Amino acid sequence: MNALVFMIPLSILFLAGAAVAFFWAVDHEQFEDMDTPGLLPLDDSPDPSRGANE
Amino acid sequence: MCCEGCRAAAEWIEQLGLVDYYRLRTQLGQKPTVATLSVTADPWSRPENARHVVRDVGQGQREVLLSISGVRCSACVWLIERALGAMPGVVSVQVNSMSRRGRIVWRDGDTTLSDLLQILTRTGYTALPLDARGLDDVRRSESRDALKRLLVAGFGMMQAMMYATAVYVAGIDSLDPSTHELLRWLQLLVATPVVFYSARPFFSGAVRSLKLRRLGMDVPVAAAIAAVYVASLIETLRGTGAVYFDSISMFVFFLLAGRYLEMRARHRAGDLTDALARLTPPFADRCLEDGSLERVGVHELRVGDCVHIWEGGIVPADGALLSERCRVDEALLSGEAAPVTKKRDDRLIAGSVLEDGPVQLRVEGVGADTVLAGISALTNRAQTERPQLQRAGDQATARFVARVLALTAITIVGWCIFDPSRAFPAAVAVLVVSCPCAFALAVSAAITRALAVLARRGVLLVRPDAIQGLAECTDVVFDKTGTLTQSALALADVQTFNHASMDEAPYLAAVLARHSRHPIARAIAAALPDRCRTNVRDLTTHAGLGISAWLDGRELRLGRSDFASPGPGLAPDDDDAVLLADDAGVIAAFRLHEQLRPDADAAVEALRRQGLAIHIASGDSAARVSRIAARLRIADWRARLLPSHKLAWLTELRARGARVLAVGDGVNDAPVLAGAHVSIAMADGADLAHASSDIVLAEGRLIAIAPARAIAQQTLAIVHQNQRWALLYNFTAVPLAAFGLVPPWLAAIGMSLSSLGVILNALRIGGNDATSCIPRLARMSLSVTARAESA
Repeated sequence: MNALVFMIPLSILFLAGAAVAFFWAVDHEQFEDMDTPGLLPLDDSPDPSRGANE
Repeated sequence: MCCEGCRAAAEWIEQLGLVDYYRLRTQLGQKPTVATLSVTADPWSRPENARHVVRDVGQGQREVLLSISGVRCSACVWLIERALGAMPGVVSVQVNSMSRRGRIVWRDGDTTLSDLLQILTRTGYTALPLDARGLDDVRRSESRDALKRLLVAGFGMMQAMMYATAVYVAGIDSLDPSTHELLRWLQLLVATPVVFYSARPFFSGAVRSLKLRRLGMDVPVAAAIAAVYVASLIETLRGTGAVYFDSISMFVFFLLAGRYLEMRARHRAGDLTDALARLTPPFADRCLEDGSLERVGVHELRVGDCVHIWEGGIVPADGALLSERCRVDEALLSGEAAPVTKKRDDRLIAGSVLEDGPVQLRVEGVGADTVLAGISALTNRAQTERPQLQRAGDQATARFVARVLALTAITIVGWCIFDPSRAFPAAVAVLVVSCPCAFALAVSAAITRALAVLARRGVLLVRPDAIQGLAECTDVVFDKTGTLTQSALALADVQTFNHASMDEAPYLAAVLARHSRHPIARAIAAALPDRCRTNVRDLTTHAGLGISAWLDGRELRLGRSDFASPGPGLAPDDDDAVLLADDAGVIAAFRLHEQLRPDADAAVEALRRQGLAIHIASGDSAARVSRIAARLRIADWRARLLPSHKLAWLTELRARGARVLAVGDGVNDAPVLAGAHVSIAMADGADLAHASSDIVLAEGRLIAIAPARAIAQQTLAIVHQNQRWALLYNFTAVPLAAFGLVPPWLAAIGMSLSSLGVILNALRIGGNDATSCIPRLARMSLSVTARAESA
């Protein structure tokens, strides 16, 4: 029972933290484009700005 | 490589080190047209023009929202973001491949809007700055809101279920009352945001439809959520009985997930306003009294103004031609790519492309008075008047929930008579066990699955309810040019006269043809070998007639029969024939045909085998339409139809009880596409056609229509199966719950299992579809091999 008193508030705290993090991510355009970032690792050029100037 | 523009772009792309575009792209790009290449960004440097599209975001930074045409997939997005991001002064670039909109922030002084647009044009995309008011994008906030609501519902569902499981596993009787109490309050805590935040769209939707005195889908859903929540809340406050916070959280989550997927599909459709804005140029060159030109925004034009239009330019407003003659491409109105010759005082239409010029125009209609605005109004009207295919699933669910609510009321009344203390728990059990989840999911799970299966076959569903229309259609109306045929002409036949050699004559024609941009000349030049010969002199283009040039000491003429060989001759009286002649007489005749799309015959045959009646509605001449109709063995065709005629014919077909599937590609098809029961646009067609259709065929593969219809029929069958199944489950479970025989844990499990069954059943759609993945895999492995070799 004592464990519950400690663990449950903790889990709710985590939950709230996750929700806040997610809201932040949505507002900072992390979910606007779900396709392109997945392709970027396939790109061999070392650095975007340098690749463009070469 | 399809043209010079592509080559230039490819070279430039390579210079920038962006070759990966060709490896990453999943769809072929759009071929640049004359019009896109001639668009210049210069006028945006004029402050009056830039003012209403650029927003100052502080710290010397400017923001603009662009509508970018030609964005096909993430490779395009990647290319644009890289190309623009590499420019000095650019702070951020975001392109959304779904809405084809880009948002760019830059530091004023380091770069200008014109520079940005020029880079985009060189990369091969046409960008149009949208009104600054559009910066507060409604769609963006809509999709962000939906995502947040979905997540809150998901979190709430997981937590509530966790607490509920503890209760169910321990068993209500063996659980310490204080622990039980604690768990109830915790469930209330996590479910409250789900009801008050995530489920808000259902409540506001319900209020809206109640105000209109209609019983929409949202009303029963909101009622069920509210009833179960309030009941559980009362139980929590009283400290007795069972609570169902887990069940409503799950219900809300599943419904929101379905709606989220539908919203994404809707956003992909593209916006009608964007599509229209792209058809007319943002600027016009107004002729001043002293003969000089002034570049002004199109919205500044007034009736009576004189406008200068350059060759290859787009006509900015409706008006009368002041110059002697010109040729314009009115594909917009007629759907036909062949240019029309206009004489002095003839009417030019805003949005058509000038093939030769320059010419001057007296403005007679601007803005809403143009023919183009008329077409868009027609499209809008057709869309609102289109026969509403009932969303059978929604209606069934609404009816069902209404019945359940009635049944709950009966349960309460019944128990109040016999044993008032059990009335409340029994009523709640009825609500939960019959939770409309299975019903609501019966439709949305099947449709979601069908969307995915069809998308893999290159059939992109824009409006999910098109599945029903596709499955139930009885008639197909095809547009001809650009839909059944390819938009470019092809050389069909060469005939030589006067002992001209079959080797020499075509080649002479090709030398001449190479110097003209006329579609017929382009077709001849493309079909014949290029043997470079430089001693061509005095090459002249005669507008609407043909080309003449001096070659090897004689004058050669290529063009219409009365131009190339005047007087009685061997001129065949075929419209499509082009003659090559010198003063001695006709040398050769070239006959041009439209090319059928390679899969047109097979596609039409497959649709016919499915028992559909096939029609052709075309704006082209009767001779050409009948030829194509004969080749495809289509008996019912109509020619020379204007957009309004096409719509009238459609209404006629509908009145006869036909359910019509319309397939088209052009701006002139838009009203028909919008007015049909269900419509398909070709991916390489006009944006306006995309915006007014239900389905977009990627890569223009007509052959995909028939299998798509089969999948749609399978989907409908599965939906009906699911609904029957959910009904059966409810018929057995509800009476038991009403008599108080179902414990809360069994009610919750029953609800979950019935939902799961429905989802698993939906996964059967397109089950034998595995083979269609093979070509794609093969393509991928090919590109990987190619890459390995080049490295």
